[in-house]
Amino acid sequence: MTRWSFMMPSIVLLLVTLAYPIFYTIDISFSTFDLSTFGADERVGWANYEEVLNDYRFWDALKVTLVYLVIALPLQVALGFAIAFLINAEWGGRGMVRALFIIPMVVAPVVAGGIWRMILDPLWGLMNYALQGIGIGPLDWFGDANLAMAAVIIIDTWRWTPFIVLIATAALLALPRDVFEAAKIDGANWWSTLWSIALPLLIPIITATFVIRWLGAVKMFDIVLAATYGGPGKATNVLNLFIYEEAFRSLRFAESSAMAVIVLVLTMVLTGIFLYGSRKLEERF
Amino acid sequence: MGTVDIRNIRKSYGNVEVLHGVSLHIRDGEFVALVGPSGCGKSTLLRMIAGLEDITAGDIVISDRVVNHVAPKDRNIAMVFQNYALYPHMNVRDNMGFALRQRRMPKPEIESRVDNAARILGLERLLDRKPRALSGGQRQRVAMGRAIVREPNVFLFDEPLSNLDAKLRVQMRSEIKELHQRLKTTTVYVTHDQIEAMTLADRVVVMNGGVIEQQGSPLELYDHPASRFVAAFIGSPPMNFIEGTVVNGTHVRLEDGTTIHVPVTNLGGQARVTIGVRPEHFELSNAGWPATVSVVEPTGSETQITARMSGQIVRILIRGRTFVRPGEVIHLTVPPDLIHIFDDSGTPSIHAITRGIKQHA
Repeated sequence: MTRWSFMMPSIVLLLVTLAYPIFYTIDISFSTFDLSTFGADERVGWANYEEVLNDYRFWDALKVTLVYLVIALPLQVALGFAIAFLINAEWGGRGMVRALFIIPMVVAPVVAGGIWRMILDPLWGLMNYALQGIGIGPLDWFGDANLAMAAVIIIDTWRWTPFIVLIATAALLALPRDVFEAAKIDGANWWSTLWSIALPLLIPIITATFVIRWLGAVKMFDIVLAATYGGPGKATNVLNLFIYEEAFRSLRFAESSAMAVIVLVLTMVLTGIFLYGSRKLEERF
Repeated sequence: MGTVDIRNIRKSYGNVEVLHGVSLHIRDGEFVALVGPSGCGKSTLLRMIAGLEDITAGDIVISDRVVNHVAPKDRNIAMVFQNYALYPHMNVRDNMGFALRQRRMPKPEIESRVDNAARILGLERLLDRKPRALSGGQRQRVAMGRAIVREPNVFLFDEPLSNLDAKLRVQMRSEIKELHQRLKTTTVYVTHDQIEAMTLADRVVVMNGGVIEQQGSPLELYDHPASRFVAAFIGSPPMNFIEGTVVNGTHVRLEDGTTIHVPVTNLGGQARVTIGVRPEHFELSNAGWPATVSVVEPTGSETQITARMSGQIVRILIRGRTFVRPGEVIHLTVPPDLIHIFDDSGTPSIHAITRGIKQHA
């Protein structure tokens, strides 16, 4: 009894903040939504799900999200570890550079989106100014579907690569020093030290980073909201932005709840597959 | 040809000098143990020979070539690390062959060298295992195999046995010795364990505070310690030190006023001296230095007695069994040639003048 009473505060907190919203969402997704009571009205079974799955806009948004994930994640992880590897060497100002890397993470995403909107502005943005210097452009960053996606990925990468650099730096510092010394004596050059020693040792960290970033990236919508608002057309309309729009613009809470549940299940399944795969990969090494 | 010549080597980290000019010549095929307490600079010296640490001043010459600025891989040395430093993602075969693959040696030759090393070390059945599937002793053997396949001029060992349990350590110790007798490769072996150093090495180099305190064959160090530090460091259980004041040529007054007769020809003009006696050199007799027994520890083959001699603790090791009991007063004698006398500073011992021929098994 006493042990339960000691745990009560955290149990209540968890129920209120975690369990309730999830069950509320699931509840709504199987019902019609009553805007006057802001709750479930009538059970409709899978009707909301059917509607969502028959909605081409849902599939479009899913596709946009996948394109973003497939490009942004490997890019950020590769870039993060590469930068960490490069700044891990002893040199003056290393601490300074590491500190600077934290800035993108502490800037509010909406502010970051706004800043980048200015940088990428087709008319007076810094990016086009710089690109013109080397004879490219002017590029209409937010007017072209592919460029808009590129812009979103650039901003997202700017924001999240430092996070990976931090994790990777910690991982590199934790690597056993004597193994690298042994490799040095064994005659491994820079490349084979990286490829045959460092990379295999880092595989567990890399996969863990990937999962963390993947879970974050699936939820991404703040940057899109601030920078492109899903445009042009629906070119950068990621799933979460679509759900947000459907719920709070179109007030279709039931359908958006169904989508949220679909995304949740999809994320869980894919994460499971990914973790399984990475474990297999670790065993191979 | 695997000689190592260390010429007046110094090492500083910033303003702190940790090696104060060490010189050492290691002959081809010799097994040299660097031994000393932690922080004495022995590992630093080894890592400098390996090329893992820069040399602040002096020269390191391996096989008649100054290697101060030669990369570790080009020094033709192989090193065995304290924590084995195996490549965790490679199996035993790949671990041992890694250095050879880096040299782009033809596959069949790598194969035959690895197989040969595996046979020497009894690793044939483990070749396809990953390091994590091996016991500590097996990992250590793989680390040695990795060194052997390279057929280096010099083997460097950095406290290779300190992570093993006591029983395995003794076993691996004799394996290393056997390996050296078989391959006759010049070996530099760092350890803080004086027994390891004594049992393995042709020559033991005792280091302390960044300098070489004394070097010589294991028995030379045991018989003729050049300083109180070496005397205390070499031998187990350690040497007893009894402090007192010289009364006349052959008598010493201890702290509580007891005067004992020290049967050496001349204690010199020293006012204060330290008498050093190894526990195994004491003999029980009817007359001699009086001591009160406090603890008796029989191990079967020998008995260790802890006793108090005018307030100072002395350890006595008696071969076989004895029937003394705690509280009893015993009398100790020491053969004159087995008494060590150190002067007040503790450094230069004057025993050499007073001692004749040593004789013990």
